[in-house]
Amino acid sequence: MCDMCVDHGDGMQWHFNAANYARRLYKIRKESGEATGAEISGLAGFPQADEILELIEALDRGDMDAHESLLREYESKARREMLGQTLTIDEVLRAVEFMYPIARMTCMCRKITEALPDEENQTCIGFGPGLYKWERWPETYHGGIEFLHPDDARELLIELNKQGFAQIMFTMGTPYIGGLCSCQYPGCLAIRERLDYGIKGFWKGHDVARIDPNLCTGCGLCAPRCQFKAMSFDPSRGVAFIDPFRCFGCGLCVSVCESGAITLERREAIPTLANVW
Amino acid sequence: MLPRITIDDAKCKVPLDCGKCLRVCPTQVLNLYCNAPPQKFREIDPSHYRVRGVHLLACSLCMECVKVCPEGAIQVAFGEGG
Repeated sequence: MCDMCVDHGDGMQWHFNAANYARRLYKIRKESGEATGAEISGLAGFPQADEILELIEALDRGDMDAHESLLREYESKARREMLGQTLTIDEVLRAVEFMYPIARMTCMCRKITEALPDEENQTCIGFGPGLYKWERWPETYHGGIEFLHPDDARELLIELNKQGFAQIMFTMGTPYIGGLCSCQYPGCLAIRERLDYGIKGFWKGHDVARIDPNLCTGCGLCAPRCQFKAMSFDPSRGVAFIDPFRCFGCGLCVSVCESGAITLERREAIPTLANVW
Repeated sequence: MLPRITIDDAKCKVPLDCGKCLRVCPTQVLNLYCNAPPQKFREIDPSHYRVRGVHLLACSLCMECVKVCPEGAIQVAFGEGG
């Protein structure tokens, strides 16, 4: 059972519930005044360098209690402010139906992890009423934004998926959905923080990839596409290997399999994986 | 024990325009961060971006960042003293 769907899905997967895309344009300002600083930065929902370093120092001195308590703190912040989930390309294309307006923008992660120039780094999709504020916060939308027709957005997302980026849908103030990232390890903060430190800033998707070794031809195209360290190549049998407990269900491996050896199964139909998010 | 990565900010002026150390690191230990908050209607001046060692457990002490830095601004140390 996916808690996000239970809490915000209204009987559907939460990213197919139109209400979650309908963030209000106006709201009464809090007593404390309008959000400023890090709160409105595109990366505010992720643990920042200071928080990661605190976690690393706890790990380094073997203080597992401190590590656990930091993990819980970061996860509850993520659930409140910015929580993601891995989507397959089919889910992504369906979700585009609910987005308006849609724009392409800079990936803030790869800006700070690889110092990529804005013009080479336009892999993020933002959408919804929040976008009307883009001129007010140029730093969040560094390099400007390019509004897209839904068909162009679909075309771009198919291309990014083909290139090997995994798509993750994010809330911006849960349950409002505001961003669709095209992610990789290690350049993407969310994937790195999840795989390296176990921080659940985003969840696994609703599917799990399974391989039929009898159909696998051993071409080896799939394994390098995995951004979640869930795949390898078994040289003794000459077939690809998928660890279902590490699989995030993005489907990047499925889309290059020419022999139809890899299929996606519903996570919730597999008892041992149904609660592994 | 964690390695200590020190950046001389006086020498490393606009890392956003350089980024050589970020990209040479085999495990992407270094990140940029911003030492000024975002402001309405204004982009942050690139000089407010700084380099920092973040993923210290992933540092293998290969010293590629130290070698690639055109300003000699990076120091990496491990163990007592140094």
